[in-house]
Amino acid sequence: MKYLSFVLLLQASLILHGQALNEDSVFIRTHYSKREVYISMRDGVRLFTSIYEPRDKSQKYPFLIQRTPYGCAPYGATKFPSRRLGPNRQLMQEQYIFIYQDVRGRYMSQGAFQEMTPAIDKKTSKKDVDESSDTYDTVNWLLKNISNNNGRVGIYGISYPGFYATASLPQAHPAIKAVSPQAPVTDEFIGDDANHKGAFFLMDNFDFMNYFDSHRMGPVQDYGKSLFNTDYTDAYKFFLDLGPLRNSNGPLYFNNQGKIWNEYLAHDNYDDYWQKRNIRSHLKNIKPAVLVVGGWFDAEDMFGALRTYESIEEQNPQNNNRLVMGPWTHGAWSRMEWTKFGSHDFGQNTSGFYRDEIETKFFNYYLKDKGALNLPEAYIFETGSNEWKKYDDWPPRNSTPLPFYLRENKKLSRSQAQSSGFDEYVSDPDNPVPYVEGAYRRRRNEYMVDDQRFASKRPDVLTYQTDTLAFPITISGKIFADLFVSTTGTDADFVVKLIDVLPADEPDPVPNPQNLNMAGYQRLVRAEVIRGKFRNSFEKPSPFTPGRIEEVKFELPDAAHTFKKGHRIMIQLQSSWFPLVDRNPQKYLNIPNAESGDFQKSTIKIYHEQEHSSKIFLPILNQ
Amino acid sequence: MKKLLLLLAVALLNLTAFSQDHAKDSVWIRENYYKIERYIPMRDGVKLFTSIYIPKDSTTRHPILMTRTPYSCAPYGENAFNAYWDSYQREYFREGYIMVTQDVRGRWMSEGQFVDIRPFNPNKKTKRDIDESSDTYDTIDWLIRNISGNNGNVGVFGISYPGFYSNMAAASNHPALKAVSPQAPVTNWFIGDDFHHNGAFFAMDGFSFYSSFGKPRPAPTTVGPTGFDYYTHDNYKFYLETGALKNLAKLMGDSIAFWKDLYAHPNYDTWWKARDARNATRNLKPAMLWVGGLFDAEDCWGAWNAYKAAEQNNPGKSFNKIVEGPWYHVQWANRDGTHLGNIQFGSNTSEWFQKNMEIPFFNYFLEGKGDISAIAEANIFITGSNEWKSFGQWPPAAKQDKAMYLQPDGKLDWTRPTAAKSFSEYISDPAKPVPYTEDVHFNRTRSYMTDDQRFASRRPDVMVFQTDTLKEDLTVTGNVIADLMTSISTTDADFVVKIIDVFPDRLGYTDIDIYAESDPDKTYPMGGYQMLVRGEIFRGRYRKSYENPEPFSPGKVERVRFELPPIAHTFKKGHRLMVQVQSSWFPLADRNPQQFIDIYHCSDSDFKKATIHIYHDAVNSSSVILPVLP
Repeated sequence: MKYLSFVLLLQASLILHGQALNEDSVFIRTHYSKREVYISMRDGVRLFTSIYEPRDKSQKYPFLIQRTPYGCAPYGATKFPSRRLGPNRQLMQEQYIFIYQDVRGRYMSQGAFQEMTPAIDKKTSKKDVDESSDTYDTVNWLLKNISNNNGRVGIYGISYPGFYATASLPQAHPAIKAVSPQAPVTDEFIGDDANHKGAFFLMDNFDFMNYFDSHRMGPVQDYGKSLFNTDYTDAYKFFLDLGPLRNSNGPLYFNNQGKIWNEYLAHDNYDDYWQKRNIRSHLKNIKPAVLVVGGWFDAEDMFGALRTYESIEEQNPQNNNRLVMGPWTHGAWSRMEWTKFGSHDFGQNTSGFYRDEIETKFFNYYLKDKGALNLPEAYIFETGSNEWKKYDDWPPRNSTPLPFYLRENKKLSRSQAQSSGFDEYVSDPDNPVPYVEGAYRRRRNEYMVDDQRFASKRPDVLTYQTDTLAFPITISGKIFADLFVSTTGTDADFVVKLIDVLPADEPDPVPNPQNLNMAGYQRLVRAEVIRGKFRNSFEKPSPFTPGRIEEVKFELPDAAHTFKKGHRIMIQLQSSWFPLVDRNPQKYLNIPNAESGDFQKSTIKIYHEQEHSSKIFLPILNQ
Repeated sequence: MKKLLLLLAVALLNLTAFSQDHAKDSVWIRENYYKIERYIPMRDGVKLFTSIYIPKDSTTRHPILMTRTPYSCAPYGENAFNAYWDSYQREYFREGYIMVTQDVRGRWMSEGQFVDIRPFNPNKKTKRDIDESSDTYDTIDWLIRNISGNNGNVGVFGISYPGFYSNMAAASNHPALKAVSPQAPVTNWFIGDDFHHNGAFFAMDGFSFYSSFGKPRPAPTTVGPTGFDYYTHDNYKFYLETGALKNLAKLMGDSIAFWKDLYAHPNYDTWWKARDARNATRNLKPAMLWVGGLFDAEDCWGAWNAYKAAEQNNPGKSFNKIVEGPWYHVQWANRDGTHLGNIQFGSNTSEWFQKNMEIPFFNYFLEGKGDISAIAEANIFITGSNEWKSFGQWPPAAKQDKAMYLQPDGKLDWTRPTAAKSFSEYISDPAKPVPYTEDVHFNRTRSYMTDDQRFASRRPDVMVFQTDTLKEDLTVTGNVIADLMTSISTTDADFVVKIIDVFPDRLGYTDIDIYAESDPDKTYPMGGYQMLVRGEIFRGRYRKSYENPEPFSPGKVERVRFELPPIAHTFKKGHRLMVQVQSSWFPLADRNPQQFIDIYHCSDSDFKKATIHIYHDAVNSSSVILPVLP
């Protein structure tokens, strides 16, 4: 989520105090001058903008702009950032005119902030403003007022700034030549940050909005305090003790002081509020070259990267649109080094590769006519095999969705059941399935690759696995779960986890500081949740009829992964994922208004029979 | 278990990072001692292999201190010295003790036939009537006659299985035997030590131990048995996939006699009763110092209960005392007694024990040296408050048993519940047994005894009851009784009761930065920690009798009442007391098929889910009875 990049920024300024940092800091001061300006938008609102211009005036430079809700710190024309300028150090050394702008209503800018500003396709007056128009007006001003510019503009940003990068695309200013939305927040009901398939991402939302939803009386350099103080070490316990979502507005917490928080709670289905904020429907007639970047282990906006690329591709087949997906957490591609994550060892510096071979070349090519650009349509890091793959399409044309059936005796099989049967579990909102083993205060990033053996041991988690694979299986593309279920309640969540089971002779790493036990490790490859009431429509939820078999079919975020020979493919099913996702009362009602007494146990059945064959479609790559 | 002891001994030998002092001690022992190896003949002609370390100093006479062991008196060879200098036992060398180790009958280099926990025979009639007690008698007799320079006083000590042999030694009542310290003595393998706890089979420890230890030894040897080759090092997976106990027996093979005995004696029959070491606690002449660990995963039961039996069977005996510290199996004999797992004790409790209890005990009774007035009747370390306390009796005279009642809504307090009908319900599924500890691992951990139970609290098949935040310290010393009113949907079930200290969410904890969780590899989040203080399992079919198990009638409310090993713990002000109830503890204990059938011979298909009710109403109230120290 947006939260992480905020934390990362903080950490970066705290942690990165090595030699490199000092070098960067010296480089910035010796090669760039800074000024701060207010740029007027068409409706008269003025946006605070920091401008870093190369001191060397012997040549003209393109602009690289980041628009942000997180502040342009350090404020002050004499204050320079202690870390790099722009998206990466190479580009800083290449020299661009770097622009940081506080978006409308945040930090030092005037105006009113709106969560995920709805785009206006047809603007009828100067009062019709959105992020596209604000970017347009900013670019216009910059071209006219900043000397030594070469007339070209690039936009980039990660996470919320990734959204602003995307939002610059519709009706883009013609000077905007290259845009890189990275982990862009895209649709917060369907797959990014706030909700996944209508399931509320409690822990992230709560922590983030406590910070982000705090108030300002007017332009400020510092929002000061968060809305409230929390004081816990074990998020599972804290959120379980907190009780139903409505208690978040108790006097100790949001206390109805969170504007966006209350918007979230007020819109518990895919209504106009959320649809207006889905930027995908506005991504038409896109002219600039686009480089969408995302991480396979991005716990916040993986959906956004995949679906922004997809949406531009579908609606703008002629556009120069590319996708990069690497083995990254939220924003990890911007780190100096990224060779390991959880139990993964990628055997190479994946972020260094991205920086040198992809991002730097992209902007240099489109904004400076520098170098050749031989980037593929999709540059995809395949986990498991740990290889960069180049594709002409994403998903690749030679990948085919094939069903893997959940079968009797907890088997996962390519063949369908001939007999009738089901497995069942009791989903108990008082004892929800943890999303991670152990006690943590913050959301643990590694949950996306962690060992799922802790979950396999629970009675409320169903586990299905293939035989040992006789040959490797590579998946690349979209994953669908197609479940036939019944429940004794009238609503339920369904979490589907795709897992790579490592063989019994898998060695432990040497050294082994995490004390990993790799033999039989159940490594999470992909997981997703759907709130059952949205199984037929996100706009029009519908209750389950107790005991009636119903289909729940939904899409998981894509994956590119090789299950090696000797491994197994495993599917886990469960009906909670706590406190990542709030608990479903398992009763069909408005969940933000639910009372403690509304939460009830349900017995959930997953069918594996001919008429009702639960399965998962995996995009098998024919190689 | 004993396997651990073996591993530790090996570890001690291998440890290289030793200070100058230890190197000096090594040289000193070699310069001042010589070692001989002898076969000592028993009354029936069988000869037992014995290593004897004798001081060269012949100006004074020396006491003998002996351990009898099934784990070998390696290293073999009169020039090969055991690394005593790496252990506190170097103090006995400095003191000039004659140190003796003997392979028990039928093990390693000794002749004869080994019998596991060989029954004590109080009525030996002929020279063929031997037991471990007579072997000890004959050995002592030989030693005092044949080892020159001995002062006629003999002590015996040993930990775990050697603790059992120490108990048997005491019962020999050889007049030269003056002091015995059985430590974590194997005492009863059906009720509470190693193989079973209250009839539930500790399959993991038993299998890993006996798949090597239990192998036949046809002739004397210095080479030990090999272990089992596991296909996975995830013990939960191994035992779950192996399934019913009869499958485990197949893996064990048919050469291991004791394994077959286990399967032939599922109940507490005369076979088991003959193997209760408490049979050897009558008319004990030597001074006795029983030693145990409060967090001993193997023989926590033995020390408490053998001490208690010796008290009851020897009224008026002047020196029959007990030491219990916050220890894992053998920890009191190790260097580091400062912590176990995540729990800190605030001092080096092992060193304290060695210096203030064991060494003064032997010096006094074997050499007439020093002062033992500091050794109280019961010397008990209270965890939580982290202090040693002396008591005139155990349990302390001042303790008062008070029932802490399970309540509706997961509450726990001193008043009997008032609801007309109230129960908690869970489904116990043998296909998904509750893990005994959180992490994936291979060897049974020793720290599970103090581990964080949050992972269990989160499960739907674990019932959690807890008090409000305690307004003052609550110290509990003695046995805890679990008194459950339950009904089950099948005919058998296990009941695990766990007594837990819930730490405050915010807490200043010794040497641990509880907010440093950003690096989970280095620290553990102690805020809200659910410290296991005591857990115990009970196989429901034995609720009325260990000898004559009885099925449950499905749906009928029945009482399951059992004793947990003693605890000595202060639940501090600001903490909470929690009780967890569950019906599996895997793979520590085998899974109950939840049907009243022969568990050792039933099939995988016999394992059934059971719905279990734990009642907490005015008529059927469940409680834990706590021995509260005012």
